[in-house]
Amino acid sequence: MNTIIKSIRDRIISIWKIFDEVARGKAVGTIESELEEMENIFGVLVLGSFIGMPAPPMQISLDLMPLMEKELILMMEKVDTANEPIAQLFSVFDIG
Amino acid sequence: MNRATNVFFMGKGGVGKSTSSALFSVFLAQKGFQVLIVSLDPAHNQSDIFERSLSDKPLQIAPNLSAIEIDQEFWIRQYLKDVHNQINRTYSYLTAFNLEKYFSVIKYSPGLEEYALILAFEKIQKNFSRCDYLIFDMPPTALGLRFFSLPSLSLIWIEHLLALRKEIIEKRDLITTIKLIKKEIERDKVLNKINELRNQYQDLKDTFEDRKQTQINLVLNPDKLSFAESIRIVEALQEININLHRTVSNKMKLDSSFEDIDETFTGIPMINFPYSETPLIGFHNLQEFLKTNGDHLEKQLSISPPNLS
Repeated sequence: MNTIIKSIRDRIISIWKIFDEVARGKAVGTIESELEEMENIFGVLVLGSFIGMPAPPMQISLDLMPLMEKELILMMEKVDTANEPIAQLFSVFDIG
Repeated sequence: MNRATNVFFMGKGGVGKSTSSALFSVFLAQKGFQVLIVSLDPAHNQSDIFERSLSDKPLQIAPNLSAIEIDQEFWIRQYLKDVHNQINRTYSYLTAFNLEKYFSVIKYSPGLEEYALILAFEKIQKNFSRCDYLIFDMPPTALGLRFFSLPSLSLIWIEHLLALRKEIIEKRDLITTIKLIKKEIERDKVLNKINELRNQYQDLKDTFEDRKQTQINLVLNPDKLSFAESIRIVEALQEININLHRTVSNKMKLDSSFEDIDETFTGIPMINFPYSETPLIGFHNLQEFLKTNGDHLEKQLSISPPNLS
């Protein structure tokens, strides 16, 4: 008897955890896209000379560059979606 | 403990920055101070003035006096090599960015010239802190001013990048809190680096602004062009909160007028190197010039002898 109750309790806990995770994931979805945008802006600001943007003094870009692989990858990814900002926005807010 | 005083000689091209800085170095060395004269000017006139082949290793010219020349190209190459090596160590997808190609042209980027001089300056300050005086023969105005303004300009960018990075970290922390993810124990490496850069540039800015550590001598000639450019140099330095220590009137003839200089640079001490009929080339000629004009110079400089205890 105890084993059955324990098993049911574990399942409820497990389902609850999944729901909780999904809810938490949904709650931060917009913040995550905002964070991604900020990281992209940071990348463009520091490494702007790569793409012809006004950039800080060259030595600041060069000093930070070895630590910014993630931002570089993000910048490259953003190039793909740069032409469809509205579509991206719709996707962030889960419209359509 | 850094006790060396940095003395910079700035001015329009051709006014005699190299000769004035060489004379000043010989004068101080003769007084018993430990002096290192550093040529930051790519024209490298110090080799010609002292008639010795100078390099990045100090060469003793006379008792208490050594000289070195900074090779800008070497510092740029070395710096880019370091950055490239760091990228190779930290990036996993290096080839995807085609960075090799980028690095082959980056050495021609504007801004690296003055940064090479800054790197050399920092190294010299650290390695020769036991000297009493580090005398810097500066490049002509444009590069010289970019050298002094580099810390202030870089700090403006650094402050903005720092604010944005902090915002990013706050957002990231918020997400990890909501998602119940374990927080990263290691702090953001980019933030650490930005803070490190901020300290580096702030130290440089403080050094340049501190009149005890840094003395800027403006060399000028009694002619309109040199005088006009000198005024612009002073204004540009004041904009970045750097004050002139003294003016050096070089090649002054007996009939030259001091009035304009006196009026414009009121309150700024002036030293006067009279026009020399003999070319000031070679240590012997510099010594001879100081023998004739040394007393006059001593009165104007009023530097007490070094404390040798």
